[in-house]
Amino acid sequence: MKTAGRMNRRQSTLIFLVCAAGVLAVVMIMGIALEDAALETDFSRTNLAPCPEYLFGTDWMGRDMFVRTLAGLSLSIRIGILTAAVSAVMALLLGTAAAMLGSRADAVISWVIDLVMGIPHILLVMLISIACGRGFAGVVAGVSLSHWPSLARVIRGEVLQLKQAPYILAAEKLGASRIANVRRHMIPHLLPQFLTGTILLFPHAILHEASVTFLGFGLSSEQPAIGVILSESMQYLTTGRWWLALFPGLCLVAVVILFALLGERARMLLDPSSVHE
Amino acid sequence: MVKRWIALLLSAAAACALTVGCQSSGSRGINAGESKTGENSSGAAESSEADNSVVIAMDPNSEPAAGFDPAYGWGAGEHVHEPLIQSTLTVTNTDLTIGYDLATDYSVSEDGLTWTVTIRDDVKFTDGEPLTASDVAFTYNTVKESSSVNDFTMLDLAEAEDDTTVVFHMNRPFSIWPYTMAVVGIVPEHAYDSATYGANPIGSGRYILKQWDRGQQVILEANPDYYGEAPQMEQVTILFMEEDASFLAAQAGQVDLAYTSAAYSDQTIDGYELASYATVDNRGFNLPAVPESTDEKGRTVGNDFTSDVLVRRAINIGVDRQEMIDNVLNGYGTPAYSICDQLPWYNEASEVEYNPEEAAELLDEAGWIMGDDGVREKDGVKAEMNLLYSTGDSVRQALAADFANQMGELGIACTIEGVGWDTAYDRALSEPLLWGWGAHTPMELYNIYHTIEGTGSAQYSPYSNETVDSYMDQALASSDLEESYSLWQQAQWDGTTGVTQDGDIPWIWLVNVDHLYWVRDNLKVAEQKIHPHGHGWSIVNNVDQWSWE
Repeated sequence: MKTAGRMNRRQSTLIFLVCAAGVLAVVMIMGIALEDAALETDFSRTNLAPCPEYLFGTDWMGRDMFVRTLAGLSLSIRIGILTAAVSAVMALLLGTAAAMLGSRADAVISWVIDLVMGIPHILLVMLISIACGRGFAGVVAGVSLSHWPSLARVIRGEVLQLKQAPYILAAEKLGASRIANVRRHMIPHLLPQFLTGTILLFPHAILHEASVTFLGFGLSSEQPAIGVILSESMQYLTTGRWWLALFPGLCLVAVVILFALLGERARMLLDPSSVHE
Repeated sequence: MVKRWIALLLSAAAACALTVGCQSSGSRGINAGESKTGENSSGAAESSEADNSVVIAMDPNSEPAAGFDPAYGWGAGEHVHEPLIQSTLTVTNTDLTIGYDLATDYSVSEDGLTWTVTIRDDVKFTDGEPLTASDVAFTYNTVKESSSVNDFTMLDLAEAEDDTTVVFHMNRPFSIWPYTMAVVGIVPEHAYDSATYGANPIGSGRYILKQWDRGQQVILEANPDYYGEAPQMEQVTILFMEEDASFLAAQAGQVDLAYTSAAYSDQTIDGYELASYATVDNRGFNLPAVPESTDEKGRTVGNDFTSDVLVRRAINIGVDRQEMIDNVLNGYGTPAYSICDQLPWYNEASEVEYNPEEAAELLDEAGWIMGDDGVREKDGVKAEMNLLYSTGDSVRQALAADFANQMGELGIACTIEGVGWDTAYDRALSEPLLWGWGAHTPMELYNIYHTIEGTGSAQYSPYSNETVDSYMDQALASSDLEESYSLWQQAQWDGTTGVTQDGDIPWIWLVNVDHLYWVRDNLKVAEQKIHPHGHGWSIVNNVDQWSWE
């Protein structure tokens, strides 16, 4: 029995979810608002160590690293959202199609999934990014078009399994139409897997966006992106400007962890087997 | 306490970076470095002096991709320098006039179409064969055939008249041919195979290539049979490393001379001094001088804002070059007013004073009136420029950013954008791009200002002026090098027209970037001639004259 004063696990998880989503939303919105400020250079304040005025210090062109980091994280989160959306739609369509449209469609789609998964992620992101003309569009296309296969595979597996489930077979025998079957019996079962999978795409997408810009295949160097910030800061580590890499790096890790926890907690809430714990 | 922690953290980071740096520069190079450090502990100066060798850290981009073959850009490529392994006919002196290496005399016919050069008869290649005029002729004909990096279209044919006389037949007069002769290394006709020569060069120069580990290092050894003064440095090891690795290598005492940049200039390294050498390694923007249109290839050519000559003049005097040098280069640079500052063909009329008031008046006169938001306007069009720079070059990025800030004060709104060289050339036809130039030949003036036949415009940025063209044509046709200098100067400004402030000013020049090096305290680097563009082999042009004190 829980005492009246303490929240149960479900409540605390819900509160955590709201807080985490709130933090990420605030970072994203602040980043958008500060985009112009992040490009601003001021040579009267170069190479300042972190101080109350510039929390993360400034770089060799006098750019405020705090603002730049926020703008970079915001960009990462937006790319993450876009990637997750594109991947989720593709995964849902292809996954269900593979499972529902018969063995030939299944073979084709499974082959495509294997093909895309067979190419190392970072390489694929780079290839698509270059093919799409680099820059912002290139990175977005590269990251969002390369992350769907794993989710698609999960969905396909689930749907295949569900098709053989006794209650679905029973519903079919009772004359429920295919559409009604999918809507009433399958989607409620798929939803937790699907949502969790989608949220867990974020950390991947963000890390890949950061690495591809770090390697110089993405945004050009005046853009505020975490990868760009980190690759620039490498040059200055030897001269002792640790703040250029440390804070943006920590923030990136924090955002990624936040998303991962978000996905984990969301799963706990949505998954029937753990929802009442 | 906090400080101590930071120091600890930093030293850990430095140690990590150091190991990375070492790995990247390869085992052999580091062995050499380590043994040197070992010796240093017992007395740095003595050991170095004893073996008369020097270890130099150079930018990885300096490593010649196609090897040490003059036909594929060694010495005579994008960045010119003395080929060291091979001899050249002439050399450029420290004041950039012409001196002799292999040549004993040269002359040019009245029409400028025939150059006759006599050469020394006592020169041997390192395989023992004598170097004759036919080797020279062979070299030039080969270079003309195969050089993809340098323009040799003015040469028709080189032929050996006898063992010591070589004659160059030209397609068109080219008065600055001696400057070309200063960078083309002579290869042996009997031992030249274009497939293997780059990796196993045989020459007659001051040094022999002893070892080349691609991506890591080059070891040069003094040529014992050298015809000139014997090199004082008997062994020169060049390690190719990135800027941060170069800094750490100096910090660890593994190199005697390490290239560095302004970003490191506020650091100090025990036992090393920061040496700064003057350059014509300039940076400047092209300002497209014609209104915007689309050419037959579908490219945008021209820029409506910069096509107004008053705007270009306002920009030229509205930029504070010294502020840029202080802000971006930490003071290590000089203001640039032309592509060829301080060279014999430089016209001092290029120099301008910073004058923001006059710049503002010029913009007003041109009809660009200050708007309420601090940005000038003309007929509803905003005064805007998108400044391009090559992405990944932090110095150019910072210069572009500082320039943008300064233009903002004048009421010109600027954005900056990093671009790759794959698209930069096309985009520079309509937008200002931050370029780097500077070479020991007046041909650069021709390359950027002279109209290309058939297109009606100069190569890199739309611009054309018949008078300027004709001075440069005359300069090339001149039979006297000294006289041609004054024609090159007139091409820049002849009193009524030209490419300077009072002329068309189709390019504005900002700064010459000093080349910076960490030099071990007792190493005496010989006097440098003004360095050209490219922070690479220029420094070792006279490594044979360096010494340990």
